Amino acid sequence: MAEKLVPVVCPWCSVGCRFYIVSVNGYPKKIEFDYEHDTRNHGKLCPKGVSSFQYLRHPDRLKKPLKRVGERGEGKFVEISWEEAIREIAQKLKEIREKYGPEALAFLGSERCSIEENYVLQKLARALGTNNLDYVCRMCQSTAVAGKGMVLGHPGLTNPFEDILKAKVIVLWGYNPAATNPVFFGQYIEKAILDNNATLIVVDPRKTKTAKYADIHLQPYPGTDLAVALAMLNVIITEELYDKDFVAERAEGLEELAKTVEKYTPEWAEKVSGVPAELIRKAAITFATAGTAALLTNEGVNQHANGTRTVMALTEMMVLCGYFGKEGVMSGAIPGAHNGMGAGLMGIEPDALPGKFPLHAEEHKKRIEEVWGFEIPEKPGITYVEMIDAILEGKLKALYVMGTNPAKSLPNLKKVEEAFKNIEFLVVQDIFLTETARYADIVLPAAAWFEKDGTAISFERRVQRSFKAADAPGEAKPDWEIIVMLAKELGLGEYFNYSDVDDILREINRTIPPLAGATPERLKKNLQGCMIPCPDESTETPRLFVQGFLTPNGKAQLIPVEYKEPGEVPDEEYPFWLTNYRLVGHFHTGTMSHRSKSLSKRWPEEYIEINENDAKRLGIKDGDLVKVETRRAALVLKARVTPHIREGVVAVPWHWNFNYLTKDVLDEYAKMPELKTAACRISKVEG
Amino acid sequence: MGKKIFIDFRRCIACKACEVACEMEHGEARIRVFEFPDLTSVAFNCRHCEKAPCMEVCPVNALSKDEDGAVILDPLKCIGCLMCGLACPFGVPKVDEYNKIMDKCDLCAHRRAEGKLPACVSACPTEALKYGDINDVLWAREGRIIAQLKDIGDRTNVLEAYIIR
Repeated sequence: MAEKLVPVVCPWCSVGCRFYIVSVNGYPKKIEFDYEHDTRNHGKLCPKGVSSFQYLRHPDRLKKPLKRVGERGEGKFVEISWEEAIREIAQKLKEIREKYGPEALAFLGSERCSIEENYVLQKLARALGTNNLDYVCRMCQSTAVAGKGMVLGHPGLTNPFEDILKAKVIVLWGYNPAATNPVFFGQYIEKAILDNNATLIVVDPRKTKTAKYADIHLQPYPGTDLAVALAMLNVIITEELYDKDFVAERAEGLEELAKTVEKYTPEWAEKVSGVPAELIRKAAITFATAGTAALLTNEGVNQHANGTRTVMALTEMMVLCGYFGKEGVMSGAIPGAHNGMGAGLMGIEPDALPGKFPLHAEEHKKRIEEVWGFEIPEKPGITYVEMIDAILEGKLKALYVMGTNPAKSLPNLKKVEEAFKNIEFLVVQDIFLTETARYADIVLPAAAWFEKDGTAISFERRVQRSFKAADAPGEAKPDWEIIVMLAKELGLGEYFNYSDVDDILREINRTIPPLAGATPERLKKNLQGCMIPCPDESTETPRLFVQGFLTPNGKAQLIPVEYKEPGEVPDEEYPFWLTNYRLVGHFHTGTMSHRSKSLSKRWPEEYIEINENDAKRLGIKDGDLVKVETRRAALVLKARVTPHIREGVVAVPWHWNFNYLTKDVLDEYAKMPELKTAACRISKVEG
Repeated sequence: MGKKIFIDFRRCIACKACEVACEMEHGEARIRVFEFPDLTSVAFNCRHCEKAPCMEVCPVNALSKDEDGAVILDPLKCIGCLMCGLACPFGVPKVDEYNKIMDKCDLCAHRRAEGKLPACVSACPTEALKYGDINDVLWAREGRIIAQLKDIGDRTNVLEAYIIR
């Protein structure tokens, strides 16, 4: 038995933990911790990381291409050969393009796949003449990308993880890293708090495992964070707590911003958000006078119809206090998946070229077209949620889904199911028969993360190589190989002349200047990887904004932000705020974690958290069945009565059926759906 | 005194990485995370007692201490009489229903033989679990407190004033 240790990047969240797969003749036997290299996780892993090889050999793995024989959604398929599957897909895509034009086609990429695979998929879409491209960043980070982009010119995490250890104040806003990024929390945030006496401010309607460590805990109603942020801006400006030199030198627009936030006093914010005005004032003063601060956000801020505005207000708070470009500060949003940042950088977006350059950036477009050898379509495509509407309107006829599960992750799922029942042609390429794949015409079996070579970019902007540690089951193939096969069948083979992932990465090095230095050779040699931008092989960029911001004039833009309510607020009929959260043992729609024995056994089912006073009023006891109802749908869940959620708010872990309840209202800038809140009513199920 | 796993419950976030890591090594988790209503949580495993009641009551000498001081069960000697489970004040030894013998933490003997840390300690993302000698662990804590006091003293002269008085 040849046992070998293969270095991999963890396939779950975006911290970029490294470890080994112990592989025996291509079979993943177990994991081993990597304490030898200078890894970001210092050898440590969370429960998902430790058990991350379990789902690889689950009997549900797709092993052969499938063709639908039953009704859509029924899940009845027959096995077909790869030749037949690829031929049929190519034929149908060509047919639809000829009949309705290229804009009747759309492609979804994946944060679960490597940068190489996302790059190849977006290239195929553009070779076919459409920019109808997107991936799940639209549902978790797009508001942060838009908001920070407008203020700073770049959405990335600004500093290396070590800098958080030197921060005097840490603000975790709509972010519960103790559950979502335990290694990042344990190795950096918790050490800053317990060992280096950093003050922690948490903003979350729930008292989470993270909030347990908080010195100040603000509990706004879901989606009213913007009110708290505006009030903090008000305090910082009116009490002149901001860094005057920094603002004078490196920002513009203070006067307009000051005028706008004048009316957003802490007392006003208390009425809107339910957070005591005095606590908001205390948080603002603590934050502004700390000297160094880290402000990290996540879905609690992002997934709202006012998400971009909130991100802008929070970023402006950081700018005002001068918390950029030095040690001991940090600003960023934390993508939920291991290659969330990398996939976006590959241009798998309807209005962005590889490198995240705008679609109309002529100079970049020309450079990329020269490398590719064909023209990039002019017209911007449509975003993720808009694709569902386009299917229902009959404009979008074919959808190609790579490694993502919209039939469970999108809001207002009944509408999504309706769309997938009516689409003309749906292809799903994945490792399991997901909820989405059940509606597909053709299902293609893909290799999982440990079963292929590939590169991922962590939220620290670190590019890291993961190596093939196991053989894929049956006839499953790496995603990039499948796309190349399809491109050849479509007659586009000349543009997809790759024999391995290194060929693709070399083309990425040529196409995307900030990634020019992340060559296959460099990444294979250095398991630690390098932090982008890395314009050549000997450089990397640990800290952003040391000199200036990436806006056209190098100054941060303090754009005035007005308050806007979340997409749906409680009323007499639906009096409760409903929100969701993640469990430490599950990942997104559960495609993999629900199939990991050690995880599903510990976190087996969904439930609803209700404040003890609300529960008493409604006669609900711990363990009772409760009906939770929104204007879209109803679920029956077990009640968990707790003091750790604020009155008037109920919360459900989102890995099961939560999205039947949510509304598909979108953020005006980023088109992010409001996944984080809805108005609901609850009642005890008798009997 | 042998090395043991020490638990700093302030750092535990109930992520259960220790449980899952143990399960990956042994098929069943031999460490458990207990969560309390006030959000405190603590991972708990065999204490490998200096005077281990389980060892003292075992009628067939299936339990013994290895060279690192870990209480180890010999599966070939164990008759599944449950005496060790009864005697343990922490209720640690469990019945392995399949083999009808007892099962307990051995501080990952196979990993220690290779110079590695027990799996639960290796995984613990917050370092709430520490493997070491009690004196080293206590000294590390004492040292940190002294360092903090000294730091406060350096900044405020409080310590100096206190010492002078």
